[in-house]
Amino acid sequence: MGRALLYYEWHSRWNRLRARLRRLRQPKYLLGAVVGGLYFYFYVFGGWIHRSGRGAAMPALAPEHRYLVESAAALVLLVVLLLMWIIPHERAALMFSEAEVAFLFPAPVERRTLIHFKLLKSQGAILFSALFMMLLGRWGRGNNLFHYIAWWGLLSLVNLHLVGSSFARTMLLERGISNWRRRLMVLGGAGLAAAGVILWARQTLPPPPGLSGDWDSAALADYARQILQSGPLLWLLAPFRWAITPLFAGDGREFLIALAPLLAIIGLHYWWILRADVAFEEASVELSRRAAERISAMRSGNWQAAHKPKKGRRPPFELRPQGWPAIAIFWKNLISAGHFFTGRAWFYLIWIVVVVGAIVRPGGRHAGEGAALSILAVSLAVMSLLYGPQILRHDFRQDLRVADVLKLYPMTGWQMVLGEILAPAAILAGAQWLLVLFAFLFCPANFGGVPAPAALRVTAALAAALVMPCVDFIALLLPNAAALIFPAWVQLGKDTPRGFETMGQQLILIFGQIIVLALAMLPAGAAGAVAWFAAWWLSGRAPTVALASAALAGAAVLAAEAAAGVHLLGKAFEHFDWSEGSLE
Amino acid sequence: MEIPTTPALTSAAPTLIEATGLTKLYGEFPAVTDLSFSVRAGEVIGLVGPNGAGKTTTLRCLSGIIPPTRGAVRICGHDMGQDPIEAKRNLAFFSDEPRLFDYLTVGQHLTFTARIYNVTDYEEIGRGLLEELEIAGQVDKLPGELSRGMKQKLAIACGFLHSPRAIFFDEPLTGLDPLGIRRMKDSILKRAAAGAAILISSHLLHLLEEVCSHVLILKGGRKIIDGSMEEIRGKFSEMPAGANLEEIFFRATGETKGP
Repeated sequence: MGRALLYYEWHSRWNRLRARLRRLRQPKYLLGAVVGGLYFYFYVFGGWIHRSGRGAAMPALAPEHRYLVESAAALVLLVVLLLMWIIPHERAALMFSEAEVAFLFPAPVERRTLIHFKLLKSQGAILFSALFMMLLGRWGRGNNLFHYIAWWGLLSLVNLHLVGSSFARTMLLERGISNWRRRLMVLGGAGLAAAGVILWARQTLPPPPGLSGDWDSAALADYARQILQSGPLLWLLAPFRWAITPLFAGDGREFLIALAPLLAIIGLHYWWILRADVAFEEASVELSRRAAERISAMRSGNWQAAHKPKKGRRPPFELRPQGWPAIAIFWKNLISAGHFFTGRAWFYLIWIVVVVGAIVRPGGRHAGEGAALSILAVSLAVMSLLYGPQILRHDFRQDLRVADVLKLYPMTGWQMVLGEILAPAAILAGAQWLLVLFAFLFCPANFGGVPAPAALRVTAALAAALVMPCVDFIALLLPNAAALIFPAWVQLGKDTPRGFETMGQQLILIFGQIIVLALAMLPAGAAGAVAWFAAWWLSGRAPTVALASAALAGAAVLAAEAAAGVHLLGKAFEHFDWSEGSLE
Repeated sequence: MEIPTTPALTSAAPTLIEATGLTKLYGEFPAVTDLSFSVRAGEVIGLVGPNGAGKTTTLRCLSGIIPPTRGAVRICGHDMGQDPIEAKRNLAFFSDEPRLFDYLTVGQHLTFTARIYNVTDYEEIGRGLLEELEIAGQVDKLPGELSRGMKQKLAIACGFLHSPRAIFFDEPLTGLDPLGIRRMKDSILKRAAAGAAILISSHLLHLLEEVCSHVLILKGGRKIIDGSMEEIRGKFSEMPAGANLEEIFFRATGETKGP
């Protein structure tokens, strides 16, 4: 049976690799692979090779600091492993694909064989992750192979502990120890250990340097070293430090000596897992089903469905049966975006603005903080123009998985496009208006020596409130256009590829969107500039009039561009052939 | 329960579904080639054929989901290419897999569909449909909380909400329990009796034999034969008078029945 499983695993991976290589015959994948490969080279391999060429990855740790860093890493590992006992609440489940469940669970395969298969299968991801971590995080001058093995060991240990703790959790549940009781026990144990360390430090060591008001980093490091190198924490962290030490080994001998305890811990974990007689099949079947649904949803570009709502959300407004059908799409997408758009969320946001505004009002005691908050709000508003359309995807990027349903509706293409884009545009505009209000409320009358009278501030706020939604709309049109015109590049199909080529495709797409957005801004910018100078000259150099005129002209051009975009995209939707690439 | 039957068809019944020279190519591959047929009010046509015959592609072209490469489709007299809005206002398409929005409840699906099709009295119609389909108690549930059969029923309720006159079913019985199958058959016949034109694609030949007045057999994207059961039997002279659709299908497509 073991041979059959090895055969399955080997051929699955080999066939997957061949399919991906074959795909490179298509220019879109080849181009994506080249761009993705270059990106990876420059940001990972390039930097690493460059550093290697100089003979140093990063400065080697001084011996007095090494112990401290090792201990801190061991502490992190301790916390990670502790969380495995605290957070999960489900029974033990090993992740199998649906096909594996269908073929292996009814087959005459021993549970131990299934565990072995699962552990071996997870090694693929671990080996790759170890390579990635080695490339990204070389800390010393040591041997690359040693670093790789050390990362492999550490990741394998974490993986084994995850499986083992899930088995133990199930056994505790079967013996009547509930999740909350287990959590209390673990937290209680951790709290007792922490209390013991604190008590020991208080009785044995001088007070921490920070408490005497002197924040000397060297003294603080020395205090931390004393806590870590002596007393209970030394013993408490010992096994975790054994797991970490190979990462910091300087030479072969040191590495081999450090590796032995890590391998012993891994062996103990392996023995622990094999000894545990826990039924994981039922939970695994359920987990596989959920994972398959989630993967299918994500591969279809439906990230919302990947996290299915547990209960229905209240509609944002009452939808009447008569009227413009595009509003129905808007209404539907607002429900989908429920967690962004609950009345309660907006209430809290406005409440925060009002309360903070009352505390940090211009001219008040905290006016300085107000200016900083104003700058922060403006920065966030500008960032939202770039990132908002990528985050809010309650449009075609979500709905193209049901494009066949959308195509059935008696709606023109432009109505459908408008309906789809309205929801993320409205949410984004709401958030930006709030930020503009925030910036306006906290903006001081004198901004870094530049006078900002109330009339100018009001005009600037209104101008921003007018222009930003227009920019949003165009920024949202672009990814939606990409989804409709290049669906294969926006990961909408069920058989979405992964790897360098997909990463490259995404990069090309984002780069293209930025260029198109910049081009779309040019006419609006030009119109705004012309209107500014004209109004400046005609009004006798009144900045408020010039700003208002520029905003109106710019917004008008942007609105015209958006309208043209909706019309063109509507045509694209009408001609969108949902079936392309599929037969029956 | 009395099972409705299809009305006596007359040549005066209007043609509600009409395909002329319908052709769909996927790249170079012809999925459907030069297909012409029509369905009149009250007719229920069974669309049958082996896998890959082009049944689903035909249904998708007819319902406006995908554009045909060549040819024309008319729904209730409206050309799908020239006047898709009016054509789509009169049709409903039910895929084998219910296509629902994960985040809308059953009730919200109906509200949403009502607005799309401007169904003013949707609450009354919707209530009746939910009761008829026995999912009236699930109004506040999300699709994720429903069984596959219930999802199928919700999709059907949404499709029937605007009282379509041209109805397309792609494997309509998938996932339904025996009672659901019985009710679906009744529902199909009831709609046909009310004057709808219905096209059903299915591999369940006994179902088609029960509910269909006509049959259209496809193979390799081409029409092999179409007409009423009697007409088709008549086209195969060696067929006995009582030959069933399965025998006709194997005879027409040249497939072997197996051991």
